[in-house]
Amino acid sequence: MKAALSFLLVMPGPAFAGGGAEMGTSLPLYSVLPFAGMLLSIALFPLLAPKFWHHHFGKVSVAWAFLLAVPLTVAYRGAAVYEILHIVLADYVPFLILLGSLYTVSGGILLKGSLRGTPGLNTGILAIGTILASWMGTTGAAMLLIRPLLRANAHRTNRTFMVVFFIFLVANVGGSLTPLGDPPLFLGFLRGVPFFWTFNLAPHFLAAAGILLTLYYFFDRHYYRREGITEAPDDGVKEPIRLEGSYNFLFLAGVVGAVLLSGMVHWGEVSILGVHRGLQDVVRDGLLVFMAVLSLVFTPRTLREANAFTWFPIQEVAILFIGIFITMIPCLKILQAGAQGQLAFLIAAVREPIHYFWITGLLSAFLDNAPTYLTFLSTAMGGFYPGVAENEAVMRLINENPLYLLAISAGAVFFGALTYIGNAPNFMVRSIAEEAGTPMPSFFGYLLKYSLPILGSVFVLISLIFFV
Amino acid sequence: MKIEKILFPTKFRQSALAALETLSPLKNAGLREVVLQYVIPRDEVGFVPFGGYLKDEEERLREETRIRFEGWQHTLAAHGIESKIVIEVGDQVPSILATAEKEKVDLLVVGKKHKTGPEMSFVGTHTMQLITRSPVPTLVSKHMVEYEDGGGELVRCLNDRIFERPMLASDWSAPSKRALEMLASLKNVVEKVLVCHVIGVNISKNLDKEGLHRLEKESHARLEQYCARLAAAGIAAEPHLGAGKSALEIIRLSRENHATMIVMGTTGKDRIHQLFMGSNSHRVAQLSELPTLLVP
Repeated sequence: MKAALSFLLVMPGPAFAGGGAEMGTSLPLYSVLPFAGMLLSIALFPLLAPKFWHHHFGKVSVAWAFLLAVPLTVAYRGAAVYEILHIVLADYVPFLILLGSLYTVSGGILLKGSLRGTPGLNTGILAIGTILASWMGTTGAAMLLIRPLLRANAHRTNRTFMVVFFIFLVANVGGSLTPLGDPPLFLGFLRGVPFFWTFNLAPHFLAAAGILLTLYYFFDRHYYRREGITEAPDDGVKEPIRLEGSYNFLFLAGVVGAVLLSGMVHWGEVSILGVHRGLQDVVRDGLLVFMAVLSLVFTPRTLREANAFTWFPIQEVAILFIGIFITMIPCLKILQAGAQGQLAFLIAAVREPIHYFWITGLLSAFLDNAPTYLTFLSTAMGGFYPGVAENEAVMRLINENPLYLLAISAGAVFFGALTYIGNAPNFMVRSIAEEAGTPMPSFFGYLLKYSLPILGSVFVLISLIFFV
Repeated sequence: MKIEKILFPTKFRQSALAALETLSPLKNAGLREVVLQYVIPRDEVGFVPFGGYLKDEEERLREETRIRFEGWQHTLAAHGIESKIVIEVGDQVPSILATAEKEKVDLLVVGKKHKTGPEMSFVGTHTMQLITRSPVPTLVSKHMVEYEDGGGELVRCLNDRIFERPMLASDWSAPSKRALEMLASLKNVVEKVLVCHVIGVNISKNLDKEGLHRLEKESHARLEQYCARLAAAGIAAEPHLGAGKSALEIIRLSRENHATMIVMGTTGKDRIHQLFMGSNSHRVAQLSELPTLLVP
């Protein structure tokens, strides 16, 4: 209570190090406001003031981070500094390194050739992207395939639905099989979820991807016939299909190997700025950076230029997510405190796996799915194992209540496709498609015309099959 | 190597139009068309975080650019030069190089940056990439420049009649010969060409006095051959021989002889070579206050 009052009045509170659990019980509910503000900024600014947001998102992110960090540090002193350093060093930095390395390596692979978009070929591209997404990240797979898909279908009148299904499948659902696929799953991996445990999502993945690919094929066939295309146009320029920079798959294998390694060995701990991290995690991060550097050195600049490779999207993620990670500290701490924390009502309300699937999912759709996953992972752990150390709680959740973690994981990954703001690659794909002249629906157009009717039905089916 | 078509990419910096107008004398040597290009940086309109693409902003920038370019087109038309506008979203360097290839231009003209930083270079990173990678001759235009002379005094230099006294700095390479041929095609534009060669330190340090004299004689002979080629094309030329650190000596000669532009052949260097070794032509482009025409 004293700490809570200190937080309110911005006065010094009790100083303690490593007192995360205690912090969770004393933090007031309004300490989650900067987190809510940060996520609402991401949700609303692109809609209401896109130009302002484009030029000032960094300032907005930093402002929310300061709004949380300053009073928290004043109130909790050493403990707050520790928590901020911990989330930056143990979550944010590895998260960014993984995304950055996958983005860099996959940006060095170029698919060239004269592809002519037919329903069969397009479905094939989507299927390949869906499979690749779990191994090169949804961002990597999306960046690899979106331009070839758009080029292949430049002669088609109706292209919007193709990009929409691409977002559903390649930018989201496809990333559900490994921690490399989608940021929420990697954050779970960092918190102790074993690498191969995520394969337990295979039935959910197969069901969702199978339904969506089948639907896509029939949509495409319908439009193809309506457009009156009997055969692919022959513009006289036939370029054989080939992958350039395919040696980057070796670096990709290096990324997979480094992440796997860090989940399989324990080489003790090192202290970085007072934060204990597994040596194997530090080595993994170093290897990931090394793979990205190798890709940069060995991939010709012209190849990246042909991919329209730019650092801007990854810079955006870096800037936005430092705000997200810092502002989410109180939320995570309160949820981890379970019934002792100010969000006990939420923990009490979310009881069944189906609740977790839908609530994690719906919030993932409108907020970013990575912090939402962590929030509900903490909710589940707070509900089942209040006060238990995080790694132990994660293992007990997996062994004793795996359906909950499956529901949270599937919700976070699948529902990311529900809106443009659900997952980072969504907006990148939209941007590339619009630049290439493919009209894309507005935020609400996407939601009402495509994602709610199509994905909503798929998610109801997934709920009935797996979570009831 | 006639200059009939020029690509003029611009960021609408100060005196960009004036720099464009300095090219108008080339009309007398066969210049037909100038392609005006503006690249809207992709990051300006694309990848709005969690948003997408600023289509309206792209259209606004396109219209704004078109209006500006139309004013420039009138200026070019007054000189009897045709023009064409290319406005596209993309990355500066690859977009410019792709346009140069697509339009089959004979000359690429790129701007300078303000001479700042510890290196005091006139060439920014984009321009350096362009002059390193361009397959066509590239002119680094420096219409109005300020630089520090040897005594630390700030000198302002207006390069408005750049084709009057070009100085060809030759190392006798194939690109140098192509640069010579390009100058030979500018009969009605150029008053006099200064042809120079520098016996570089790297060569002279390994020679004794006799060897150096032999090299000097040989260099003079080659300079005369170059001058003769220009004379045959109806262009007055005078030879100059220098010695020392090549890039600095070329700049010294250009100042002493009141050159209005430096012309050099350039070989494409790969990234690693460029990083560690650099090249004389690039160094001259970076350091000289004069426009620098590099011929690959």
